[in-house]
Amino acid sequence: MSAAPPASRTSRRASLMTLIARAGARIGTLPLSLAAALLAGFGLTALVSDEPLRAWLALLTGPLPELHLGAQGWEARRLVLFGAAIEDAITLALLGLAIALPLRARQFTLGADGQMFLGALAAVATSLALAALPAAIVLPASFLAAMAVGGAWGLLPGWMKLRHGASEIVTSLMLNLIAVQLFRLILSEWMSDPGAGFIATPLLPPAASLGVLIPSTHVSAMLLLVPLLAWAAQAMLDRTSAGYALRAVGQAPDFARRMGLPVARTVMLSTALGGMVAGLAGLHVSHALLGRLPVDLPAGLGYEGLVVALLARNEPRAIPMAALLYAYLRAGGQAMERSTDVPREMVLVIQALIILFVVAERLWPRLAEGLARRRSRRGALPAETVEPAPGAVA
Amino acid sequence: MTDAWTLAAAGLAVALLRAATPILFAALGALVSDLAGCVNVALEGLMLIAAFFGVMGAVQAAELWPALPVWGHALIGGGAALLAALALALLLAVFHLEFGADLIVAGIAINLLAAGLTVFLMASWVGDKGSTAALVSPALPSLRLPGLAGWPALDLLLNGEGGRGHPLPLLLAPLAVAAVWLLLQRTPWGRWLRASGENPAAALAAGIAVKRMQYLALLASGVLAGLGGVYLSMGYVTLFQADMSAGRGFLALAAVFLGGRALAGTTAAALLFGASAVLATQLGALAWRPQLPQMLPPAVTLIAMALAGARRARRQGNRAPEISQRL
Repeated sequence: MSAAPPASRTSRRASLMTLIARAGARIGTLPLSLAAALLAGFGLTALVSDEPLRAWLALLTGPLPELHLGAQGWEARRLVLFGAAIEDAITLALLGLAIALPLRARQFTLGADGQMFLGALAAVATSLALAALPAAIVLPASFLAAMAVGGAWGLLPGWMKLRHGASEIVTSLMLNLIAVQLFRLILSEWMSDPGAGFIATPLLPPAASLGVLIPSTHVSAMLLLVPLLAWAAQAMLDRTSAGYALRAVGQAPDFARRMGLPVARTVMLSTALGGMVAGLAGLHVSHALLGRLPVDLPAGLGYEGLVVALLARNEPRAIPMAALLYAYLRAGGQAMERSTDVPREMVLVIQALIILFVVAERLWPRLAEGLARRRSRRGALPAETVEPAPGAVA
Repeated sequence: MTDAWTLAAAGLAVALLRAATPILFAALGALVSDLAGCVNVALEGLMLIAAFFGVMGAVQAAELWPALPVWGHALIGGGAALLAALALALLLAVFHLEFGADLIVAGIAINLLAAGLTVFLMASWVGDKGSTAALVSPALPSLRLPGLAGWPALDLLLNGEGGRGHPLPLLLAPLAVAAVWLLLQRTPWGRWLRASGENPAAALAAGIAVKRMQYLALLASGVLAGLGGVYLSMGYVTLFQADMSAGRGFLALAAVFLGGRALAGTTAAALLFGASAVLATQLGALAWRPQLPQMLPPAVTLIAMALAGARRARRQGNRAPEISQRL
């Protein structure tokens, strides 16, 4: 670099770059990741579809309700998809919380799926057994059953990790496979309704109904529970000693041990709490969405809980919004499938890309670095003055 | 009487091989990447994408070059499948090794990507979201040994039911085990690979290109899982179904842990999982609930992991296991 520009200009440019980099670090690269994933998805759609623009419009605006000025003031129409997005957001937020709580203690449990299945089964069994009693008894009992069974199933990986040093990733995956089979076995063997026409539990009694908040949808009182739970989880993490121990175990396990914090108990607490919340997600699916449990309840939703937790960077207070974003995309996918030739599975691809872009810590710094280096090669800025992005060393 | 028994045993052995082959391929991939310090949870997605592109590649080849024989189309499809699995594994490797993405999370993203992409492309190209049953896709060529008619049990074992011969991937599976053994035990790459997984810092200090070894391991696991996927959609069954891998990739991961991260143990565990799949179908034929035997592989894995942990604890003089250790 022989033809360097005057020093004052260089340093001013450099400090500006540093400023931008710092501001970017504070906001995070989330919007960039979202935009990149949506753009890549659009590219893929354009490859196979005749009307990619219309499809993308449907994806992005499909779930919005229409407001009309009718005889009785403003009325909302097209609520079904909007409702579907909200319903989905509730399930996803609960699953996201279920993954995020153990993750804060650095427990990588992928078992939300199994916990959800068994929690739902326990809640339905309780509701059916107590069908004759009033709602004031049936509902709390069902909630307790879902949380107890989900929590117990969630406790298992934590316990196996502490007692046997078994990797919670593998044990929770194995427990998922077992839970789904156990669900199908119990349901088809002891709980199936012969009059249903397909293998499913009997319909839930009216006493177990959660009520409907938005007409012509399945959005129930669970909608109010989700922000409450997220707030409680955040308060637990930030304000209680158990929450402090949980964060300490996650961030610096050796420090936590030397401080005399109850590491073992905290790890088990984190996975059990996650299991309880996943059980509630199961209750939401059975009691609010389906009204009964079919034997072929699709597995795999638990993994999308991980997506939500990641998008919220494991902050409970951000989880409802992250879940809403995902649920909105999924409902948009349905709208896209209905009105164009693009199947809704496109959304899965976008979700996967969002995760990849969000967890790729060095992707954006590297790109920025590469851009800066190219500009410097053109002579505007010597390479030495560009501050390397944190973590960009290979 | 003895003839009937040997025939039945040979029949069971064939069924076992058929069920175990896809798990074995994926488990070999899991083993290679695990030894290099990269736990590959994306095997499920890699199998799925290979299964899909195998069928689509063969169908495309049949349209483009109708003059080629059917086995030529099938081989082109198989090549396309391996390329697709390799590309996806490369994507995972680049995001993990270059861009610092957590391997587990990125692996799950790859699974999601494969599940979405296969159904998306199938719906766009075939117009069906369930399977490619509307297309006529070929099976990979089978090999059969002639002149075994005198030994019915041996004929059944080596040439399969009806003497049609086993499809190519099934015969490749034992070869793959041997190849992985050679790679790990008899080549410097095997040593470098293990060193990279065992202690990356020390390996780097010793002059081993750790990153290159991890690339190699992830790409190798992609090819191996791809072979398993091809077997699913172009072996005995000649179509692609949504979510065709059905948890085999996760079972393969479990096989590595069950087998104590050793080749012999991993192979045995994959065969064991194949056996429990055979058991599930056999008991299903007897009007048993198929769920119980399907719980067997994960349950056995959990018990084995608990036993291994207890043994480790005893060896370390009952020291509490490290919480901080991940895997």
